[in-house]
Amino acid sequence: MSSPSANASEVLIVSARNGPIAKLTRDEAEQLFLGRRTTLSDGTPVALIDLPAGPVRDRFYLLLTGKNPIQTRAYWSRQVFTGRAQPPREAPSAEQAGNWIATTPGAIGYLPADHADSRLQALLPLR
Amino acid sequence: MIKALRAGGIALVMACTATSTLADAPSIHLSGFGTLGMVAVNQSDIRFIRVGLDHPGAESPDFGPDTVLGIQGNVVFTPRTSMVVQLLSRESPQGDYTPRASLAFVSHSLAPELTVRAGRLRIPFFMLSDSLDINYANPWIRPPVEVYGLNPFSDLDGIDLLFRTRIANADLEIHPYLGRSYIPIHRDGKARLDRLMGVNLTLTTERFTLFVGHGESDLTLKWSDANFSLLTAIVPTEVNRELSGNDGYATFSSAGFQWDDGRWLLVGEYARRVNRRYANSAHGWHFTVGHRFENVMPYVTLARQTEDRPITTASVPAPLEPYLNGFLASRNMAQHSITLGARWDVRRDAALKVELSHTQTRNDSWGSYFPRGNPAITDPRDRAINMLGVALDVTF
Repeated sequence: MSSPSANASEVLIVSARNGPIAKLTRDEAEQLFLGRRTTLSDGTPVALIDLPAGPVRDRFYLLLTGKNPIQTRAYWSRQVFTGRAQPPREAPSAEQAGNWIATTPGAIGYLPADHADSRLQALLPLR
Repeated sequence: MIKALRAGGIALVMACTATSTLADAPSIHLSGFGTLGMVAVNQSDIRFIRVGLDHPGAESPDFGPDTVLGIQGNVVFTPRTSMVVQLLSRESPQGDYTPRASLAFVSHSLAPELTVRAGRLRIPFFMLSDSLDINYANPWIRPPVEVYGLNPFSDLDGIDLLFRTRIANADLEIHPYLGRSYIPIHRDGKARLDRLMGVNLTLTTERFTLFVGHGESDLTLKWSDANFSLLTAIVPTEVNRELSGNDGYATFSSAGFQWDDGRWLLVGEYARRVNRRYANSAHGWHFTVGHRFENVMPYVTLARQTEDRPITTASVPAPLEPYLNGFLASRNMAQHSITLGARWDVRRDAALKVELSHTQTRNDSWGSYFPRGNPAITDPRDRAINMLGVALDVTF
């Protein structure tokens, strides 16, 4: 799956093709990945998938939430340890993340544009 | 995943499993946080104390005020219903580290924007109250005591609602809460809040957070330290009734903000507590400016607490005045301070912090300091105190 504008520095928010999630607004994505909600606006429950710690994950959070890695970790530690939110499930690799997103109902994750395959659909490009 | 983490000589071992949040069986996720922290005061006859939190011991340097370990389990039953249990070990006013439940609640999402939680929650009186032990989340070794010393309570046994909505590009959270709270006080004393209720409003944009909150509660307060016991033996009964009992009423209010653009960090807060009796009424503020250079952020914090009304204004016979004034000073945390510090994010999951504080207590206050020896001989009033703090915060 690639669009004419896709390039390696682009990060795509993706879900399973033909899954329950076909649309996602940027506001929804931001609130989900900041732990401020766990469902879409229409009530569809969402399971978030994180990439392992590294440059793609750092770039994703910077593009979506404007937070650098230190800010993101401090923010999420407050969300988790005050009991407000459960962090995204962390995949051990981008390949595994792709598998989980493709096979878990309601899963949303992000991948480098060149890692997205035909089992997945792009919901939102970030660059 | 099994992971062993050594932090400053304390081995933190935990097992962590994560499974799909949408699977049929409940999924369990374990995580944790901790701080190994020490403080050293430049005057050998007094020690730093976080009133209601730690034990007035005699160690120097003292690992009691800041060292903490928390282990948390999140259990997801359904996409809408989950449970959180957090066990916390830190020095108690009795001087032990017995773990206790700091969170134990069930959370249910009534609607995408509305969550109800019931059980043991954290008291959210001030902007950072519900993350007071999660030092990794904060720039400082500990949130400034001039503000956060105004509320020693940590648990909220009760119920709350989290309503979150989007207004333009800002998230608004409305957080009403209801319940009760209890803390032991050195040595056999206690403090209790009953029929406690309040509401917080938090407005958050990408870089800016604005917080206002207000809570009120019935208060029961029983002191039991040597200073208090001596006093109750000599002052008239009507004065004693002002000092401790079960007919108090307290209010806690706060307004704060945070600006964090990735380079500059600005944090400020003003908080006030009003007591009808047993404890004093006071207000405090702090203001912090920090600047990030890659993984290191130096910062400076100014803070002040001022007493608005002492515990009692009753007059006693002249020979007893020094005793009463001494007692009132021991319960008056008024002080002002300047702190220079730095946070160094040494790894993804660890931050090392160093702080140097210069604090001035008043001629009618002990501030956040306590005599190491005999309170009748040592007097923390009207002192200029330097303190060094070093802490390593981890999450796992």
